Amino acid sequence: MDYDVLIIGAGIAGMEAALSLGNMGFKVLLVEKEASIGGKMILLSKVFPTLDCASCISTPKMADVAHHPNVTLQVYSEVEGVDPLADGSFRAKVVKKPTYVNADLCTGCGLCETACTVAVADEFNAGLVARRAAHIPFPQAIPKKAVIDRRGFSPCHHSCPAGVRAHGYISLVRSGRYEEAFNLHMEDAPLVGSLARACYAPCEEECTRGSVDGTIPIRGIKRFMSDYYYERHPEPEYGVPEKKNGRKVAVIGAGPAGLTAAYQLARKGYTVKIFEEAPEAGGMLRIGIPSYRLPKDVVDRDIANVTALGVEIETRHEISSIEPLKEQGYDAVFLAAGAVEARTMGVEGEDLEGVMDCMEFLREVNIGRAPDLEGKTVMVVGGGNSAIDPARVAIRLGAEKVLIQYRRSRAEMPAHSWEIEGAEEEGVELQLLRVPVRFIGKDGKLEAAECISMKLGEPDESGRRSPVPQKGSEEIVPVDLVVLAIGLKPSTSPFAHELETNKNGTLKVNSHTLETSDPRVFAGGDVVTGPSMIAQAIGQGNRAAHHIDMYLRGEDLSLSRFDLPIPTVEKKDVLMRAKSISFRKPTDKKELEPSERCRSFSEIEQPFTKEEIRYGAGRCLDCAVCSECEACIRACPVEDCIRFDMLPERREVTVGSVIVATGYDLFNVEKKPQYGSGRLKNVITGMQMDRLLAPTRPFNTVLRPSDGKEPDNIAYVLCTGSRDQTADNTLCSRVCCMYSIKQAQLIMGALPLADITIYYIDIRAFGKGYDEFYEQAKAMGVYFVKGKVAKVEEAEDGNMTVFYEDMANSGGLKTATHDLVVLSVGLLPNREALGLFPDQMLKADDFHYVAEVEEDIDPGRTSIAGVFVAGTASGARDIPDSILHAGAAAAQAAAYIENLGVRS
Amino acid sequence: MSERRIGVYICHCGGNISDYVDVKQVLEGIRKEPCVAIARTAVFTCSDATQQDIIKDIKEQNLDGLVVASCSPKLHLHTFRSVAERAGMNPYKYVHVNIREQCSWVHRDDKPSASRKAIRLVRGGIAKAGLMDPLQSFRIETIPKVLVIGAGIAGLRASLALADLGIGVYLIEKKQEPGGWVADMKSTFPNHRSGAGLIKGLVERVHAHEGITFFSGAELVEKSGSVGAFKALIRSGDEEPFSVDVGAMIVATGFDTYAVKEGEYGYGMEGVVTLPEFKAWIDTQPAGELVYNGRPIKTMAYVYCVGSRQAAQPDLEKPNKYCSRFCCSAAMHGAICASTLQPRVRQYHLFRDVRTYGKYETLYEDASRLGSVFLKFDGSAPPVVESNGNGLTVTVKDMLSAGEELEIDVDMVVLVTGMVARENKALNDVLKLPIGQDGFFNEIHPKLRPVETVIDGVFIAGTSQGPKTSSESVAAALSAVSKCAALLMKGYVELEPLVAQVNSDRCTGCAVCIESCPYSAINMIACDTGEVAYVNTSLCKGGGACVPVCPENAIDVLGYTDDQIESMIDAMAAEPLAEGAAT
Repeated sequence: MDYDVLIIGAGIAGMEAALSLGNMGFKVLLVEKEASIGGKMILLSKVFPTLDCASCISTPKMADVAHHPNVTLQVYSEVEGVDPLADGSFRAKVVKKPTYVNADLCTGCGLCETACTVAVADEFNAGLVARRAAHIPFPQAIPKKAVIDRRGFSPCHHSCPAGVRAHGYISLVRSGRYEEAFNLHMEDAPLVGSLARACYAPCEEECTRGSVDGTIPIRGIKRFMSDYYYERHPEPEYGVPEKKNGRKVAVIGAGPAGLTAAYQLARKGYTVKIFEEAPEAGGMLRIGIPSYRLPKDVVDRDIANVTALGVEIETRHEISSIEPLKEQGYDAVFLAAGAVEARTMGVEGEDLEGVMDCMEFLREVNIGRAPDLEGKTVMVVGGGNSAIDPARVAIRLGAEKVLIQYRRSRAEMPAHSWEIEGAEEEGVELQLLRVPVRFIGKDGKLEAAECISMKLGEPDESGRRSPVPQKGSEEIVPVDLVVLAIGLKPSTSPFAHELETNKNGTLKVNSHTLETSDPRVFAGGDVVTGPSMIAQAIGQGNRAAHHIDMYLRGEDLSLSRFDLPIPTVEKKDVLMRAKSISFRKPTDKKELEPSERCRSFSEIEQPFTKEEIRYGAGRCLDCAVCSECEACIRACPVEDCIRFDMLPERREVTVGSVIVATGYDLFNVEKKPQYGSGRLKNVITGMQMDRLLAPTRPFNTVLRPSDGKEPDNIAYVLCTGSRDQTADNTLCSRVCCMYSIKQAQLIMGALPLADITIYYIDIRAFGKGYDEFYEQAKAMGVYFVKGKVAKVEEAEDGNMTVFYEDMANSGGLKTATHDLVVLSVGLLPNREALGLFPDQMLKADDFHYVAEVEEDIDPGRTSIAGVFVAGTASGARDIPDSILHAGAAAAQAAAYIENLGVRS
Repeated sequence: MSERRIGVYICHCGGNISDYVDVKQVLEGIRKEPCVAIARTAVFTCSDATQQDIIKDIKEQNLDGLVVASCSPKLHLHTFRSVAERAGMNPYKYVHVNIREQCSWVHRDDKPSASRKAIRLVRGGIAKAGLMDPLQSFRIETIPKVLVIGAGIAGLRASLALADLGIGVYLIEKKQEPGGWVADMKSTFPNHRSGAGLIKGLVERVHAHEGITFFSGAELVEKSGSVGAFKALIRSGDEEPFSVDVGAMIVATGFDTYAVKEGEYGYGMEGVVTLPEFKAWIDTQPAGELVYNGRPIKTMAYVYCVGSRQAAQPDLEKPNKYCSRFCCSAAMHGAICASTLQPRVRQYHLFRDVRTYGKYETLYEDASRLGSVFLKFDGSAPPVVESNGNGLTVTVKDMLSAGEELEIDVDMVVLVTGMVARENKALNDVLKLPIGQDGFFNEIHPKLRPVETVIDGVFIAGTSQGPKTSSESVAAALSAVSKCAALLMKGYVELEPLVAQVNSDRCTGCAVCIESCPYSAINMIACDTGEVAYVNTSLCKGGGACVPVCPENAIDVLGYTDDQIESMIDAMAAEPLAEGAAT
């Protein structure tokens, strides 16, 4: 047996039981799901009726638990399930959630918290103030170790094929830390400027805010930070890494995939050389993307990020075989030759002068050999973005008429809608369901095209309806230039004899590691994926670099941690957490007017201002809470202490007995809308008031939320969510009368002039010294009004009108005005406990608390032999009663273990 | 001046101290005191993180004295002694200074003075720390046996639980039969279980358990020894008292019911009964017509809070100010029993606040559903019960009908009487347990140590500590079992070495000190020069009563020696207050 007892929950009951059993000599495993032990008691200001400081009486127990030789504490962990075994013991599955902080190394210095760029509601302060994603729960936390609240990947990061942590740079930009934002991007991809202009930004499509009032301008933010950085740093700040590992890697192709892999490998100390067939590096960035979208000086600056590391790029060097590279001493090869071979239509006249493929056309334009199109007619064939680009380029080159023929309808066009619209705005004519069947020329020169109309037929393999030619619709149209944009093929043919390929011409690779059939050769980018977007190629470059490094270190690639099983947060969870999101208008895109942009190759898209960007980044909902900006890692004085690659750790333990001390839930005030909580600012909960009064209070006084005024006329609404059928809880919560009276006494100390009225049904001051405490409050001048409050409404100046039945006096419905209303919320069962055991073995009572099957003589005994319940998990209790109950559970658990006869 | 290296830590206690005492100023005020090697402030010195910092300081700075200025030593003296110990420092070189209860909380109206006082208090602590000697605690082997006093439901259940853990039990009961109050009840709340049945089951198990020895008609007449090794003298019936050795005791002596005075709410009149009388009657009624003393009972009134929640009045010598906790639920349960036996019975409940807390709320709901009517009276205008010749009339000013005065003719009035502390002077004289204002035994701290008393090794359980329901009493009893087990299963206890020490060279054998000791820890022993005083360290509590009576100044209490105290006084009184301190 691993432990004598498993105790689930380290609130006051769980701690008490752990100490009792530990002191008896039993080995205890105490599991707490929060980052600190202490439960809800440590959140309180003072406790009734002694007015002891809750912290002061919690901390010694907490410290005892932490240092007890017989108690093993496991925080930020959950018990996933407990199975009873035949011999009377139990097997439990415990999972430790990743804190992303190595608790052994963390000194609790709090520097990560200061550096963190994400703020969320602070649970410790009942949501009154914010805390950071990297945080230590509260000053007295045990263990006092930082925790990074990271719920997974934000959708923007998850959707990025390049693996760029968009949320991270957004939160850094939001904090005005532009250079850090840029540098974070540089960890993930060096081609920042190019992505900022030419990425299709799948992140923006996945942005949670997009489903509310419009996406965060993620690419615009990137554009801003890259412009900002490049303006201040015309050249990279860094040079060749000092530590070189002496290994050499060859990269074939200087496109986004090759550049990225070279960059990442060079940073790791490899000597990398890129071989590029074209006269200039950049691949598609250079030749495929028109400069009105991606100015070529930006590409140059991006490539400088790679070459500054000492990466050599040899242009005009075609590689047609891997073998010689090996002979030249390269330890590994990354093949990223791209997909620049055009597909042909296979129709008559395709070889005429004046019929070009789109890559050829764009390349000529991009290297300054643009054809003279002044007054000419240009026909582009195809429906993808690669058709739109040449069409828009042709407009800029002065063509009189530019038309795009596409064989399907608009709905089937693979090009982005905004691209199509942009082209149309500039005067491109779209001819849908139409396609050339023959090109007619004279003396080898194109003069006209014969076109035919199509009709959509049955869906084909790809699910798209296949076009069927319409006989008789043939027509011959004069045309000066035809650009075929009907697809590209991966440039793998030279290597087909050395490496295995797929039927479609792509290279066969292990999709996780990008290993090819030759162990020394890795391949990625369009040669593997077929024609894709830049971000995809960059992602492949990163993936290749990671695994080439592993390979060259002699590591087992099957153990790769490149794709960590970290979940992506659900949008609905984010929206639920945010509760209400006020509308904030998205930043409008800024583009040149069509008339203006047709005349030149100047950038269509205009940059946002700093103000627009800060506003735009400020709209981010922080989906995963932690943005992965790594500000904490940079701030942490201990190396390797914060690690984002931690995963949940599961283990199984056998135990002799189990004590369930999972506590209670507070009543959710939203179930009582007539009291206005959430809607009316100056209606707060009892827990919030406790925080306002606590020694570790968020503000240095009691103030009301709407205007920060110190309230002078406070109302308490007792039985909020208790003794109330409409709130689905008919039970009395036992503590609310007393904590309200306690708060009233404390407020009278903090705000001596304040009037306090407590609206009640019955004052239940039943414990030792409680009624005396109640009488003391009355003597201090707290008003007690017998009457249940019906509703709370807003009056003038942020004040609240309370409607109540005045039962004790003349009766009848009355109103009173207060400047702050405190809802004395009740306790509800925490139903999590019931699911811990299989087959509903752990029985609940009528109210969904853990049932005590022999309450009269064995308080704390549950429906499962050997399983006991302690504290509020089995019913509302105050602290003294929880402690006694925990002691009872401990005594019975001890007897059960003694009887088992097996000890850990 | 000693060569000590002392670490001083001044606590904010969140804001408990720093809201009134300028902690920084205190730090500046003591930084240059002799022997202070390091001085710091902390938001919560008791937090684990600060504890770790202190340990680090002790080790790195080679400290041999430690002072923490924070809250009452009742809360954290042991916390910081343990910090010292974990850092390898003798724990008795630690000095605790209370600048919260004895400074910040009592001087909220005068912050500058509070800060100045705090400086003086801390200086005193530093001076004392400079003279603290390392001391070793005494280790006593514990006897794995417990004396349980009282065989009500709490005592019975506690005995079984102890025996289940292999701890031997002597269970003594003053009465001839075990079972206490619950044994007589037919139905108990909230589970409607038979009290007699519950007790019967427990008693059978107690008798069957070989680890439990039960004595009926037995009382504790003398107690000696100390925690871990008590000697208890027990008298059972007319037999010669005998002694048992136990490591701990659980006091589960229960409660008495409030004794209603003749005439109080018409008590003494036919048909006016107390809650226990009502309970005994209703438990024996057959279904159908309810009959009391030959008269049919068709209408009843319950008057709540009789003998509880009493305000100070001239004719009340000692009002029971407390709420008796169980009585609202018990009365509801009784009313449900009555309605179940005779659905047509009309029941009026005259209450102040219905305190059916927690799940007991269902009793209130059930009683209402079964027809009980509720009227609320104010504590200052209690109902009046009078005879109307035919039966009884209850007059009440009902707050729920706008203060209307209602007259209700009833056949029976149930005075819902509360619990009072049991008169038990003989036992109290033996145990010397502190008693609270409500007359019940007092725990050390309701949250930190709810079943422990100031007498180490003596625990309280059940209603001897305060009013409780029966299952709450059992929970408290089992909690006391946990504490006993924690104490005894370890096999030994460590006693504080802060005991009196006699300088036998100075002692003249006058024996004045013997009289002064409330624990009989001093006796005279022979030596070369005659007789001198000798302190039995396992009995000595370090109370120090012997110190001032000694005409020769021959006695010191370790940890509070004259030198140490005098040095504190000198340091506190020294002028001027260090530079930087407000004047």
